[in-house]
Amino acid sequence: MNDIKKARPAGKSPPARRNRNPGHSSPSKAHRPDKGMTRRDTILMCIKNLCRRKVRTILTVSGVIIGTCAITVMVSLGLGMQKTLEETLAQLGDLTIINIYNYGTSTEQPLNDEMLDTIRLQDGVVAVTPVYNTYASRWGNYTFSNGKYTYDGQIVGVDFDALRSMGYTFVEGDFPTGENGYEGVFVIGQDSLYSYTDKKGNYVQQTTKADGSPSDPPVNVMKDKLTLTINKSDQSNTKKQPSFKITCTGILTSDYQRNPSTYGVFMDIHYVKSLEKEYNKYNGVKVDKNKVEAYDNVVVKVQSMGDVQEVEDYIKSFGYNTNSMESVRKPIQDQANQQQMILGSLGAISLFVAALSITNTMVMSVYERTREIGVMKVLGCSLSDIRGVFLMEAGTIGFTGGVIGVGISYIVSFIINHYGGMGGDSGGMLGMASIGGSSIIPFWLALGAIAFATLVGLLSGFSPANRAVKISALSAIKQE
Amino acid sequence: MTAVEERLHPSPGPPGKDSARRPKKAVAADDGVILQVRGLRKVYEVEDEKVVALGKISLQIKKGEICCILGTSGSGKSTLLNIMAGLEKPTRGHVIIAGREVTAMSEKELAVFRRQNIGFIFQSYNLMPQDTALENVAMPLVFKGVPKKEREARAKKMLARVGLKGRMKHRPSQMSGGQQQRVGIARAFISQPPVVFADEPTGNLDSHTTTEVMEMIVRMARRYHETLIIVTHDGDIARYADRIVRLVDGAIVSDTENVSVVPREEPETVDQPAQTQSKRTKPLADSKQGQNQTKG
Repeated sequence: MNDIKKARPAGKSPPARRNRNPGHSSPSKAHRPDKGMTRRDTILMCIKNLCRRKVRTILTVSGVIIGTCAITVMVSLGLGMQKTLEETLAQLGDLTIINIYNYGTSTEQPLNDEMLDTIRLQDGVVAVTPVYNTYASRWGNYTFSNGKYTYDGQIVGVDFDALRSMGYTFVEGDFPTGENGYEGVFVIGQDSLYSYTDKKGNYVQQTTKADGSPSDPPVNVMKDKLTLTINKSDQSNTKKQPSFKITCTGILTSDYQRNPSTYGVFMDIHYVKSLEKEYNKYNGVKVDKNKVEAYDNVVVKVQSMGDVQEVEDYIKSFGYNTNSMESVRKPIQDQANQQQMILGSLGAISLFVAALSITNTMVMSVYERTREIGVMKVLGCSLSDIRGVFLMEAGTIGFTGGVIGVGISYIVSFIINHYGGMGGDSGGMLGMASIGGSSIIPFWLALGAIAFATLVGLLSGFSPANRAVKISALSAIKQE
Repeated sequence: MTAVEERLHPSPGPPGKDSARRPKKAVAADDGVILQVRGLRKVYEVEDEKVVALGKISLQIKKGEICCILGTSGSGKSTLLNIMAGLEKPTRGHVIIAGREVTAMSEKELAVFRRQNIGFIFQSYNLMPQDTALENVAMPLVFKGVPKKEREARAKKMLARVGLKGRMKHRPSQMSGGQQQRVGIARAFISQPPVVFADEPTGNLDSHTTTEVMEMIVRMARRYHETLIIVTHDGDIARYADRIVRLVDGAIVSDTENVSVVPREEPETVDQPAQTQSKRTKPLADSKQGQNQTKG
């Protein structure tokens, strides 16, 4: 069959084949490319060798199983901790919010609209809003009224577009669309629904209805006709109080974790500023023209937790004080990382011990098989094939141990999640008591653990394999 | 089968050619000479003392020749064999097999060269203890990357030829010394290498089995028209060779032609076992063995 092929004038480029096998002396041998052992034979030889020394193979694989299991379970506990930690932190508030405080911070760069634009351009920044609070100095400058009850609480000037991306939820309605501008529109926090006084100046208390539900707020902000009136700073002012029609577009769900908090009335920053001008005009307040306008408080929303540090540092570089959950999150995270490191190291140590045992097994195996290896060499087995067989044996030990180890890890993980850490916070180990025992093995961890175990096997087998390659064919066959 | 045909097709009737050239002493590099040894010297250094294992050896062995290197222990015969097979490096000199300089090859090249050009028969058989006879015989083909089906078919044929058809699945530990050596012979010849080295092939066998094994080796070499180099201290073994090279203290003291007890066969009979069988009867010491082989 091969003869026929060879006889054909335009065969499958025999010169190339011959070049590959310079050792061919007779033309009869040139018909088959000699590439050394096939992969299949290498695998078969490897499996055969491993099966030959069953007990030793099983013991070595057991070492890898324990190592892989230790590392997987430890990392999975760490991941469980991390998840619990993130959930806990999320309850504390939005982790991607940075507050800028500018109370009395003497800075050459005022925290004004221009500065906000600069911050807005920073990478990772999603939205920026000033929190222009009328609470401190401008308390009681304005009154909201439906004619019967009045509200003279705080008004916060914000950027509605920015606020929209900060995760507020509504009991009713929504942020103003801004289609007709933001003049005369507002949203109110759920916590301010009962902050009204009647005509005598008494607070309207929230009472309980017969069925146990809270009484309706005195003013139905969504329906009643509301006016905003600028108050007199001095009763001697006889001019008519300016008043404006205002509409409420939504009621924010109560959430004290947020800044601006859901207490008060939110209006567009520019509208609030124009109201202030009206107030000053009406009451004849003189504004110091040299005074630089600056916000006291600005809220910045960033893309992800990872952006917080960088953006915060950037803002700090202007000399402002900042505050974010990062300052809370970081130490907890650092501690968690440290715990994870300790857990991972424990696993790594056992896998390292397993690696030593693989090396030992392979060295012993090479030593025992010195003669065989010598014979293989004399019979013309390529050095790369000899190395291949030994590396594959070590790799197989690692891989098998890895697969079984991961399998057992899933069982251990299941047991930890279902029977360990009972009663939530009690139990746990290594200071995880507060976090509780939960173990997560994501797919990447399972795959990574198997790959790692295989790699450890290969690395452990590297030096024994090279030893096998270096065995002199002569001394191997002489030995007896 | 195909391999045998292939080997024979390119040069029909090489033995005739060979014998024609025999009387000529000076032979050109490719003129029927398969193995050349030129000015080979090997010196071992043992604790600052130099031991000359081989003096200045030069030798030419022709294709199809059965050459016996005879010498006592310490004569350097094993060293010579090892150097010729590329298992050891000489201090000086060259070994050229099939036009390629073995002494200049790297380990890597040697491995490829060996599996394509050299067969080996050991004194202590050196079979893989965990492998069956079949697997042992097929081993050189494994290293060549021959597919399992093909190499097992070839190994079966070889085992049948050495009369071990019924022992294919036996492991070396389940076989006698003679049987093990026959497996070794089958293994050495399976890839039909141009040169086969045999290092004291009967050193571990009793005299009866020695005859059996030697006949088999020589007949196998004749059948495939292979060059066989036997290294031994046993003068009886030398009777099987076409040529006897005597080695004393690392030097060739005599190089004589010999009429082998197994005469050369006509090339036509090479592939016809029946005819071979009839020709065999005379030199065969044990006719029962011969019958076994026919069965096998």
